[in-house]
Amino acid sequence: MADSTADLLFEIGVEEIPAPAVLPALGQLERMLVKALDEARLAHGEARTCGTPRRLAIIIRDVVLRQPDVEQEVKGPPAAAAFDADGNPTRAAEGFAAGRGLSVDALEVRATDRGDYVFATVAEPGRAAVEVLPEILRDAATSLTFPKTMRWGSSDFRFARPIRWIVALLGGDVVPVEIAGLHSDRLTWGHRFLSEGPVTLADPSQYLDALEAAYVIADHKRRREMIATGARAAAEQAGGRVRLDADLLDEVNFMVEYPTALVGHFDSRYLELPDDVIVTVMSGHQRYFAVENPDGTLQPLFVAIRNGDEQGLDLVRQGNERVIEPRLADAEFYLTEDMRTPLHDRVEDLKRVTYIEGMGSLYDKTQRLEGLVHWLCGRVAQVEQRHEDNAARAATLSKCDLTTTMIGDTKLAKLQGRVGAEYARRSGEPEEVALAIAEQYRPLAAADHPPTTTPGRLIALADKMDHLAACFRLGMRPTGSADPHALRRSAAGIVRIILDARWRIDMPAFIRAALDALPEVGDEDAIEPDQAAAQLEEFLAARLQAELETYAVGYDLARAVLAAPCPDLLDAFDRALALRAIRGSDADFEAVVIAAERTANIVRGPKAEEKLALDAEALTEPEEKALHEAYTAAAARLERALADDAVRDYQAAWQALAELRDPIDAFFDAVLVMAEDDAVRRNRLALVAAVDDLFLRLLDVQQIVIEGEAD
Amino acid sequence: MTFQDIFATLDRFWAGQGCLLTEPWEIEVGAGTMAPDTFLRSLGPEPWNVAYVQPCRRPADSRYGENPNRLGRYFQYQVIMKPSPRDFQDRAIASVEALGIDPLQHDIRFVEDDWESPTLGASGVGWEMWLDGMEICQYTYFQQVGGLQCRPVAVELTYGPERLAMYLQGVEDYRHLQWSDTITYGELRFEEERQYSHYNLELADVGMLSKMFEMCEAEARRVTAAGFPLPAYDYVLKCSHLFNLMDARGAISVSERTGMIERVRNLAAAVARAWVARREELGFPLLAEEHPEGTA
Repeated sequence: MADSTADLLFEIGVEEIPAPAVLPALGQLERMLVKALDEARLAHGEARTCGTPRRLAIIIRDVVLRQPDVEQEVKGPPAAAAFDADGNPTRAAEGFAAGRGLSVDALEVRATDRGDYVFATVAEPGRAAVEVLPEILRDAATSLTFPKTMRWGSSDFRFARPIRWIVALLGGDVVPVEIAGLHSDRLTWGHRFLSEGPVTLADPSQYLDALEAAYVIADHKRRREMIATGARAAAEQAGGRVRLDADLLDEVNFMVEYPTALVGHFDSRYLELPDDVIVTVMSGHQRYFAVENPDGTLQPLFVAIRNGDEQGLDLVRQGNERVIEPRLADAEFYLTEDMRTPLHDRVEDLKRVTYIEGMGSLYDKTQRLEGLVHWLCGRVAQVEQRHEDNAARAATLSKCDLTTTMIGDTKLAKLQGRVGAEYARRSGEPEEVALAIAEQYRPLAAADHPPTTTPGRLIALADKMDHLAACFRLGMRPTGSADPHALRRSAAGIVRIILDARWRIDMPAFIRAALDALPEVGDEDAIEPDQAAAQLEEFLAARLQAELETYAVGYDLARAVLAAPCPDLLDAFDRALALRAIRGSDADFEAVVIAAERTANIVRGPKAEEKLALDAEALTEPEEKALHEAYTAAAARLERALADDAVRDYQAAWQALAELRDPIDAFFDAVLVMAEDDAVRRNRLALVAAVDDLFLRLLDVQQIVIEGEAD
Repeated sequence: MTFQDIFATLDRFWAGQGCLLTEPWEIEVGAGTMAPDTFLRSLGPEPWNVAYVQPCRRPADSRYGENPNRLGRYFQYQVIMKPSPRDFQDRAIASVEALGIDPLQHDIRFVEDDWESPTLGASGVGWEMWLDGMEICQYTYFQQVGGLQCRPVAVELTYGPERLAMYLQGVEDYRHLQWSDTITYGELRFEEERQYSHYNLELADVGMLSKMFEMCEAEARRVTAAGFPLPAYDYVLKCSHLFNLMDARGAISVSERTGMIERVRNLAAAVARAWVARREELGFPLLAEEHPEGTA
């Protein structure tokens, strides 16, 4: 039925929206419109969004032109009020029926939870989509959220940037929508300079082609591909290879409507600058892509993406070359200034820079980092002495770059660590020290890799733990979504470094060492060290749990593993992964858990008694003797399985525990734990507690959610 | 196109857009936004369309005249239209075309850059206008000025005429700009930059500046309270400039800084409120000429 549906086009034309805001807005637009159409009973095909700096658009295929008719039940007054004792309708019933356009005869009485009520069945004829859509489109547009909104002109309407036109078409018809004083039409606008006057759209199917003819590539996926292809080709032609940074590509994509790549040159003397600095100057200020040689070193070239075609491309290139020159000259000036003072001569300057109010200077912090590096080396097996020395040296120098003019430039501040590393090299420090300085802040984000060198791992762990300890001690624990000191990132970083390095570190001890190293705190908001330590342990466990979820470990299993007392994050991680595998393959997993839960339910809970001593000789019943025997055997097997720190065999440990299932069930079926005789009862409880403790070596079975069981 | 041609061309263009051409404010300011023709006139409901050149002083940018791109005293060309017309962006582009720049031969773009002045309690949403990667204008929809919401919203376009001229004339150093056909920017202003740089960076008497700051602050407060926001605002501007001078001398610590900015902001906010109250008392005399967005 070709004429029962039509495509819907909705385009909001704006003054240039900030690049990072476009994709999230398109996502919202699609979700809201699809949901609203579904709720309005307007069946439809697939939705596709298109975004440029000047437009947010969506095309939804095959939207039905009319809602289906429906019958709706409307609840009226209680039956007792609607009919009198003789069963005649009252005025309430008449009024209700008349209000729905029905006669009283059409009313029905039906039982509900709250007694008998009168119901009317009202036929609701479907409305034309073009009548329903204006409100839906308007609501969606006005419900979009942005990181920042604004007002313009004389209106109080808020949006990311001023709205300048609206297109709303259902097939060949304009859907009349009014937003911010603008009325929808079939007129869109092409490229600001390459296209003259509005572009008239007969129907949504013309949208992409008509805009392309007007020099706008509205499909952002295709435009991104064009930029990437164009940048590669342009760099290749100039004899280089473009570095297509994905984030920069996304940003540039939403800064242009019709991309044309061009290559510009800069004076090769600027190649003396650290690569990171050149790349950041080019991408941060100008959104240029870097160009490299086959060996990865930089060429004195950049790729810029112009918003337009090939006209005047040489002029555009010259202009861009003129802009980048003074910016690189600024960086060169910083480098020359900074290199007057070798990195290690800046250590003294750190005494004059406050780290966090109440937590001493940056110098104090580097001292603490050195201490923590040594502490870690004493606890982590197989750290070679040279690594320890290099990490300690890196700790001393780690914050020196914060006193340089290079990092003082706000656009380059994010190069902290990396600039320090480069300056360390140029100041004659060993490469391993430089690398560790560069790696101290990693992983910077979820997508970033943790440090890979041993000194880098040591200093990164120390830096993050010191930061967490200082903030927790000052009572600056993050609450809700606010996390101004990036403490979640620090904690996640610790977890990922430990898992990546596969280091066994006693976390409570590490936390304690960091807290103990902090200066005395007089602040009244400060948290006592014991409490801060407990909070920090919990905080790190929560990060590990989040990390486990990315490994498809179920929420309940993650909790079960973390609830079992364990100071070692790596052990918890390995256990969780092993148990996830066992749960997925071992059909008896749940049966074993259910058996173990019987022990846990008895010995834990409010009436749990103090630790009881088990007297094996005093056990009398065959089933309790059998359980004790099985327990002893399982305990021995479990210890053997976990004895080797390098290869803890959780599979074998679980097999040992699984052997307890039948003896546990037999024990509970035959033996009364809560015997009248006090000594007997206490001895049996002690046995059950021992079994429970053994399970707790791997997990807390009470946390496991068994399907079909109430949570 | 000479430096002075740029001003003359922009004057002609914006007069054609219905803007008043006014003269610079004669008290030191750090930006064209601080002149009363922007700061005060962007407040309240009265329509306001104006264009003017404003010399600006930024003592901390003093470089003894030796840096090709940085000056302690330079110019801004300032345009304000309130309420912001619907096609303002097109007008901004047309003004650049009037300067002889063909958009088809260049890459003109609007790149997100929101603006905030903690000293004036002002903020706006807007862009840098790029010409082949170079910022030539700042384009801002004011949202708040002097702590007051802007209703209607004024739009501001601020040109950097030195940069624009360097681009148009193809020179790499401000000193080589032709101010007129016969005189260069350097011939006219290098000595001024040199002398003021010495004063701003070395010579200024910090103790005296600090005393003056206190005095101007007290005067601004007293005159505002007396109901005369215009003369009071002169002293707010003086406070701001004195602060900038002390800052250039390195005489303000990080912790003092926030406090002093807040003091100036409080003065500016009080003046803003008093100004709007006074305009209201006068019955907002310019309201009769109100144009809805798009018809100015």
